[in-house]
Amino acid sequence: MIQFFHVHKNYLDGVPALTDVTLTIEKGEFVFITGPSGAGKSTLLNIIFGSEEPTDGHILIEGRNYLKIPPRELPALRRRIGFIFQDFKLINTKTVFENVALSLKVMGVGPSEARKRVLKALSYVRLQHRANFKPLSLSGGEQQRVAVARALVKEPAILLADEPTGNLDPDMAIEMMELFKEVNSRGTTVIVATHDKGMIEKLSKRTVTLASGRLLIPH
Amino acid sequence: MPSGFSSFSLYYALTDALGNLRDNLVTSLLSALTVAFSLAIFTVFLVVFVNLNNIAATWGERTHVVAYVKEGIKTGPSGTAGWPSGTAGGPPGAANWTEALKKTVEATPGVKDVTFISKEGALAALRAELKGHEGVLEGVAPDILPASFEIILDPSYVNPDGVRSVVERLRAIDGIFAVEYGAEWVERFSSFMRFMEIFTFVIGAFLAAATLFIISNTIRLTVYARRHEIEVMRYLGASGAFIKVPFLVEGMASGVMGGALSLGILFLGRYAAGRHIPQYFIFIIENPFPLWKLSGGLMMAGLLLGGAGSLVSLGRFLKV
Repeated sequence: MIQFFHVHKNYLDGVPALTDVTLTIEKGEFVFITGPSGAGKSTLLNIIFGSEEPTDGHILIEGRNYLKIPPRELPALRRRIGFIFQDFKLINTKTVFENVALSLKVMGVGPSEARKRVLKALSYVRLQHRANFKPLSLSGGEQQRVAVARALVKEPAILLADEPTGNLDPDMAIEMMELFKEVNSRGTTVIVATHDKGMIEKLSKRTVTLASGRLLIPH
Repeated sequence: MPSGFSSFSLYYALTDALGNLRDNLVTSLLSALTVAFSLAIFTVFLVVFVNLNNIAATWGERTHVVAYVKEGIKTGPSGTAGWPSGTAGGPPGAANWTEALKKTVEATPGVKDVTFISKEGALAALRAELKGHEGVLEGVAPDILPASFEIILDPSYVNPDGVRSVVERLRAIDGIFAVEYGAEWVERFSSFMRFMEIFTFVIGAFLAAATLFIISNTIRLTVYARRHEIEVMRYLGASGAFIKVPFLVEGMASGVMGGALSLGILFLGRYAAGRHIPQYFIFIIENPFPLWKLSGGLMMAGLLLGGAGSLVSLGRFLKV
């Protein structure tokens, strides 16, 4: 369970990114975070991921006060979270296979086990044939699918996705969402930040709307 | 093992480090060459210092202290203490007295070997030195020169304080009226060895600092070049150890390569120097260590320098 209590986030220039956000996401839930650009969707995901700290408020993840987790324990927490970044964050000097395998390497998974899981993850996103390509030789949509494979390969407890279908054509976007649903059905908490209203309507999942950093429709 | 660092992580760290060495071959080689030249220069000074020390030990045997025997002690003509009494007019019992005196000298701490030179023996030695000009000794009484003990010191006493302590003890012996020794030479040689010791240490420290600086900067450049990859690894949950160990291994591997290269440089240098240095002086650059010790020592020194350089860099530039 992820709980936000009166969370505020202001950037250094004083611009508020989140204002008094109180929110609960149950374990195994599928939630869309939606709202216009600059509404605070990415900030919310970054705070859950631990790459940004709130200015004020409290966050509990699985009962633990997130702000009191010592920095040395943060990597272990991140190994349980799969994050599909808006800018993909792929390593351009490594192949698609190596990029996806990196997720498992940091977890200490052995090479042969890692190989099986990486190929399986690449098959989910239909990219087995691109395994030995470098990211820069792929299209934006393909790079996004590599990022999806890298997040899913470690079978995370929580999946965070920041605009995961922004670069995909409609058919592939639907396919990715079906994949997220399948992952969710296996117990992973899925939180997707998107402003793709059509997708939200199609999946009919719980939706949390942000506008100028404030929660509009909390459920 | 740190949290999040399994045996597979170690395998990945090693393969990553080797991959990085391959990818940054030129930088890694430059780094290794820096280690190699630093170690080679330091080793040259160390070799010279050790060889001089070894020579000093043999020179110590030539550091003579001469203790002159008081007038009135009669001895045999051969210059050997204990010569049967009366053979050269010595009173009965004189040889025993000399023998006793010799034993006292021998028992003095710091004395390694003692040779007795009788009055006649001293004159014979002088005649031999003045060969061709023996005329100057005509009419000189055979007992004009005093009998003496030529003393060779224990090598550990061949230093100003050591020699002085032996000389003081000899002067205190009844039957010895004067003691001579090469005080100035001992002082000079001892100062020179002290200088060499400090110089070798300073050179070693300076080269170690320079090597650490260069290795840490090489690693810093690698860290900078891979900052995006490091950021991604952090996001994927890599522990600090997982991120740092490949850089540490990379630095150590560069150091070991440098150690091996330094061995090559030293042997090439020895070969080249052998063609230009006079033969009688070549001992100064001969390797005094067993080959396995020298090569093992150089590679271990490279490993430590490389590891330390990486740690310095990682501590300063990689906060994970």
